[in-house]
Amino acid sequence: MRRRAVRLAAGVAIALAMLPPLFPLYWMVISSLKGPEELQRVPPTWFPADPSLGAFGEVFEAVPFAGAFLNSLLIAGVSTLSVLVTSVMAGYVFAKYRFRGREVLFWGVVATMFLPPVVTLVPLYWLVSSMGLADSYLGVMLPWLANAFGIFLMRQFIADIPDELIDAARIDGAGELRILWRVVTPLLMPAVVSLAIFAFVFYWNNFIWPLSILQDDSKFPVVLALTQLLSYSTSVQYQNVVMAGALIAAVPTILVFLLAQRVFVQSVSRTGVKG
Amino acid sequence: MTAGTTTLAARPQAGRLGSGRGRAALAFLSPAMLVIGLFTAVPIALTFWISLHEWSMYTPLGDMEWRGLGNYSDLLKNQDFFQALGNTAIYVALVLVVTVPLSLALGMLLYFPRVAGKGVARAVLFSTYVVPTVAIAIVWGALYAPDYGPFAQVFAALGLPDPTWLSAPDTALVSLVIFHLWQMIGYYTILVIAGLTQIPGDLYEAARIDGAGFWRQTWNVTLPLLRRTTTFIALVAVINAIQVFDPVYILTQGGPAESTSVLSFAIQRAAFQHGLAGQASAMAFSLLVILLALGGLFLAAMRRRS
Repeated sequence: MRRRAVRLAAGVAIALAMLPPLFPLYWMVISSLKGPEELQRVPPTWFPADPSLGAFGEVFEAVPFAGAFLNSLLIAGVSTLSVLVTSVMAGYVFAKYRFRGREVLFWGVVATMFLPPVVTLVPLYWLVSSMGLADSYLGVMLPWLANAFGIFLMRQFIADIPDELIDAARIDGAGELRILWRVVTPLLMPAVVSLAIFAFVFYWNNFIWPLSILQDDSKFPVVLALTQLLSYSTSVQYQNVVMAGALIAAVPTILVFLLAQRVFVQSVSRTGVKG
Repeated sequence: MTAGTTTLAARPQAGRLGSGRGRAALAFLSPAMLVIGLFTAVPIALTFWISLHEWSMYTPLGDMEWRGLGNYSDLLKNQDFFQALGNTAIYVALVLVVTVPLSLALGMLLYFPRVAGKGVARAVLFSTYVVPTVAIAIVWGALYAPDYGPFAQVFAALGLPDPTWLSAPDTALVSLVIFHLWQMIGYYTILVIAGLTQIPGDLYEAARIDGAGFWRQTWNVTLPLLRRTTTFIALVAVINAIQVFDPVYILTQGGPAESTSVLSFAIQRAAFQHGLAGQASAMAFSLLVILLALGGLFLAAMRRRS
């Protein structure tokens, strides 16, 4: 009896704990479906009286949203690919090679994970613009083509691969690149997938750097297009358009998360500490 | 040192830089090191260099004017800087004191009970972390809105006066903290669950045989064994809270009356909106020094404990 009561209470508590994460997402969806008249009602309605998808079309007329969406795909896609390649290579060296200064270099890299990006924002702007890359796709991506977290994660996983496997491949005469590509990488697939998701979400959502380096709105990623949308429609009657834009901007990361939810949650656990 | 590395060490020249394999190592390592060196390490030094100058950001670096420590002495007289420093400290402290107990409670709730749907619940809780902050901050702006917002309606229905949320200096910073906690708590909860899976079940078995109930088990088994996880969460929570920028930019622009101007926002605004790159760099470098000091204290505390 008592155990069942406890279990019931836990079930109720879990259900209640789901309300805060879901409610803002719910409000985003219903607000995007409301018409201008309904949005101005006080108090607000909790179910759209006359749902319409019209706002989703208006997003693309109000600002160059389709282009921004493609820009985000390009920026997040290329950055993610680059982070995967550079992290696997560097992680392999840190895990399996011995050289003087290895530990210092590795922990130095790890320390940069804790550096707030705003600390280096001004000189980064100067560096990138003096390379002539201000207001360019390459300028948005270049500083983030390698990532300390990725290197840390890959080193942790590669360290678990037995040296015997690598030595055996060497005895068979395989070169280092071949070993990395044919022996190490296949064993890393779950870790690589989770890093890919992490990186994609991070670069898709990254705001402060594109905001600082880009002027030309034809190169804006989707998060910057959202700020344009926000200033275009400060009045509450256009809120459906802003919410529709926010929803579209969130779709890729939510989709990626749902597709690989299990791997993703596991990898978050792996980055934590044991015990 | 693992057994594997000792085998490698037994063979002379194995994996040394300079040998054939060393060249491979150099080639594998250099892309990442080049990017991190050029775009993280060099800028740290440059931040300090720029902070000693007056510079408008959009002129060539050669047009900088030497100011020595002038930007720093200006900062000491600058009320907005201290306000931003104070706001950041309050923001970080509030995030920290709520995050640790709340993520522990939620983690235990989503780990121990034998009920269906725990996996779904974990995914739902974590999902807020992947949604773009800019997009969901816009939604929170609507939730917090006076009159048109659902929160205002709920408070009215309960017969309570509507908290002014983002529109008054007394409540705006706390409202941003609530948003931050909402977005990040699922991530920390997953870290707690990962820590819980590492605790051997027989420890609870033994505690139960000794007659310990749920609260005694929590106090004597769970919390002591989660200490490293808890420390890690506290550290990451502080780092994430110090970096906060997106919701401030989207929701308040530092207002009302500078009440939500945190350091990240103040630095970006000084440089990119006011063209005061020297001043901004002095703030940025001060932030770095504060972080290094906190990091040093943290490491010293860790060392004394163990």
